[in-house]
Amino acid sequence: MSNNFEQMQKDLYDGKFSEVEAATKTALDEGMGAQDILNNGLVAGMEIVGRDFKSGELFIPEVLMCARAMHAGLEVLRPLLAESGAASMGKIILGTVTGDLHDIGKNLVSMMLQGAGFDIVDLGTDVKPEQFVAAVRDEGADIIGMSAMLTTTMPSMKSTITALKEAGIRDKVKVIIGGAPVTSKFAEEIGADRYAPDAGAAVDTVRELLV
Amino acid sequence: MKTLKPYLKYLSDAQIEEINEGSMSLLENTGIMVDHQEGLEFLEKHGAKVDYQTKRARIPRKLVTRALETVPDRFTLAARNPEKDCPLIPGGRPYSRNGGGADFTIDLETGEFRPLLHADVKEYYKLMDALEGISFIAPVFGQDMPVIGRDILMLREAFGNTDKPIHLRAFTGESLKLMFEMAAIVAGGKKELKERPIVSLLEAPISPLKFLDVTVDALWLCGEYGIPLDVCVMPIAGGTGPMTMAGNLQLLNTEFLAGVVISQLANPGAPLQYAARPMAMDMRTGFSMAGSVELGMMASAGAQMARFYNVPVSLHGPWSDSMSHDGQSILERTYMNTMAALSGANVLVGAGMMQQSLVISQEQLVIDDEINRIAFRAVEGFEINEEHLAAEVIDRVGPGGNFVADMHTYKFLRSERFETKLLYHNSRESWEEGGSTTLVDRAKEKALIIIKEHQPNPLPEDLGKELDEFVSKALKSLEK
Ligand code: B12
Repeated sequence: MSNNFEQMQKDLYDGKFSEVEAATKTALDEGMGAQDILNNGLVAGMEIVGRDFKSGELFIPEVLMCARAMHAGLEVLRPLLAESGAASMGKIILGTVTGDLHDIGKNLVSMMLQGAGFDIVDLGTDVKPEQFVAAVRDEGADIIGMSAMLTTTMPSMKSTITALKEAGIRDKVKVIIGGAPVTSKFAEEIGADRYAPDAGAAVDTVRELLV
Repeated sequence: MKTLKPYLKYLSDAQIEEINEGSMSLLENTGIMVDHQEGLEFLEKHGAKVDYQTKRARIPRKLVTRALETVPDRFTLAARNPEKDCPLIPGGRPYSRNGGGADFTIDLETGEFRPLLHADVKEYYKLMDALEGISFIAPVFGQDMPVIGRDILMLREAFGNTDKPIHLRAFTGESLKLMFEMAAIVAGGKKELKERPIVSLLEAPISPLKFLDVTVDALWLCGEYGIPLDVCVMPIAGGTGPMTMAGNLQLLNTEFLAGVVISQLANPGAPLQYAARPMAMDMRTGFSMAGSVELGMMASAGAQMARFYNVPVSLHGPWSDSMSHDGQSILERTYMNTMAALSGANVLVGAGMMQQSLVISQEQLVIDDEINRIAFRAVEGFEINEEHLAAEVIDRVGPGGNFVADMHTYKFLRSERFETKLLYHNSRESWEEGGSTTLVDRAKEKALIIIKEHQPNPLPEDLGKELDEFVSKALKSLEK
């Protein structure tokens, strides 16, 4: 069986989504468990992708193709995983903070996180602290991720954290922040949980926060 | 007679036509998104097909052609001191400005990376005022300045510390109008400002093909006040634009033409520049790159499109992703700037700037002053006539002689060469005697001297007072 997983991982790496989808179905037909296929086929495949992305061998669009292949398999497994309650790896609310319209970086982070299997609720740009708070309440998310590209809008990240505290839900979510002028020092100052410098690092950081 | 303009050409005439055709049909069939009710109505009135639900305006070719007819082929970025005017003319000499909007710096004394502060802003203006290779000045911001009205305060500083043309950066439509009013005060009236616009503005649509309400308002306000506008088109290849260079250029050109339509149909003859600022996404991190040879290539082709439409063109010049004013910085900005200048750019943008346009440094400004002046020299070409060809002189000196003491050498000694004070061309012995300094050391020294000694031409006292009164009222009105 490990042979099949090897092929599945290879197809996933090459972004062959119909092959991955077919292989997932075959594996199920052969009696393998959904969780087994997810962990040893798809997730293991994405780990190789992640490793090569980090070492600079793979480019973002290639990772996104791999992710698409992974999702083709995941869709097959989803109903079965849902039964056992293991369908989602985590839910993340993303938004560019109030006064800021830059969303290219945030969108990229969103794509990469979706690719890694997380559920994303994207609040768009110009998101006010109360909107983040409301979304955390309504969506029951694990993490909120805020993006700011202007030095003048960075303070609003702190306002969101204060608003979360005032709403009594700061301990319910982790907060990560990013954007060109943002630093890990700033994250520390405002009481965010983590900072990530780019979309790849954002995926790693989210993973670390959720274990 | 001078040599030819040594302009780079990537595109053939047929390729230029193809890109133009492509843009015309994209505007007609795909259209642009205009997040501005009045703007949509305006375009519809002029013959565009508008879908108000999706805010999409499809612009027929004849509208674009009509808009292009009224774009002026030249205009002047005027200065408070007319000697420092920058006339932008297709085929004319290039000018340059610093990169705008930075609010981090590398401390001149300690070399540490830190936020830029209000106290630094004055020094920056002083320095740029003194450097000849920086023809006009864009804002840098102090992080300790109040957020609301920071743009206005910066303009007040600029008027007080330089008499060169000033490039604006506005945070809101409201503050933009207030800044134009400030410029009118300094120019001596709204009419005088229109005749001699001492400020200019940059506005960028959001790639791909989207115009925000603030952008449309700014385009129109510029037209109303006669303020020169950079229609700054900056798709990021592989991100907000196609991965291919041709595709990114196709999109960039289409967005420029859309900007021309919005500007010219409202204010025919409003001065604008084709600010072709193609970017590229670093496919490993997603960052938007400043230094990459393909940027220079795309921008160069953009300059050809600008010449095709007969409008002045502004390109990224000294530009780099480097974290400090190191070797990478100087390498990237030198080729970017040289390519841009040799492509016929009227304005070379970027002096001083690094790290995703967040950081500016004084040493880098001094070095870029040099890089700019070298580029100016390179496009100037050289004189060719009987006297300059010097056959007679060669004959006079004859085989085996030398030219050092010839009258011809004496005559042209000072007019033929670019004079550098920053680049070292002397012996190792005297280099060691002078402290074995690097280029950056010498740039630092020069910056320190300028900041200490340079006295900018002050604003007349009554004007300064009038501005201050206006600014304090403006700030109050913004706070409401
Ligand atoms: C494209 C751009 C625009 C476009 C934005 C289009 C869009 N859809 O986003 C437009 C033209 C609209 C624009 C407008 C303005 N901009 Co702008 N813009 C840029 C530019 C050139 C690129 C930004 C970008 O998209 N980079 C690519 C993305 C992928 O990188 P990124 O955002 O950094 O994201 C990466 C990481 O930061 C991280 N990340 C990002 N978000 C998050 C979130 C989380 C949770 C995590 C973990 C990680 C993470 O991961 C991403 C991918 O790896 C930068 C300069 C530059 N070279 O960076 C200026 C820049 C950011 N802009 C700037 C300015 C000043 C403005 C304006 C005020 C200009 C004006 N009025 O004249 C307006 C403001 C509008 C507003 N209210 O927001 C300044 C900011 C200066 C400062 N220190 O504050 C910059 C630095 C340029 C400059 N010097 O002028 N801009």
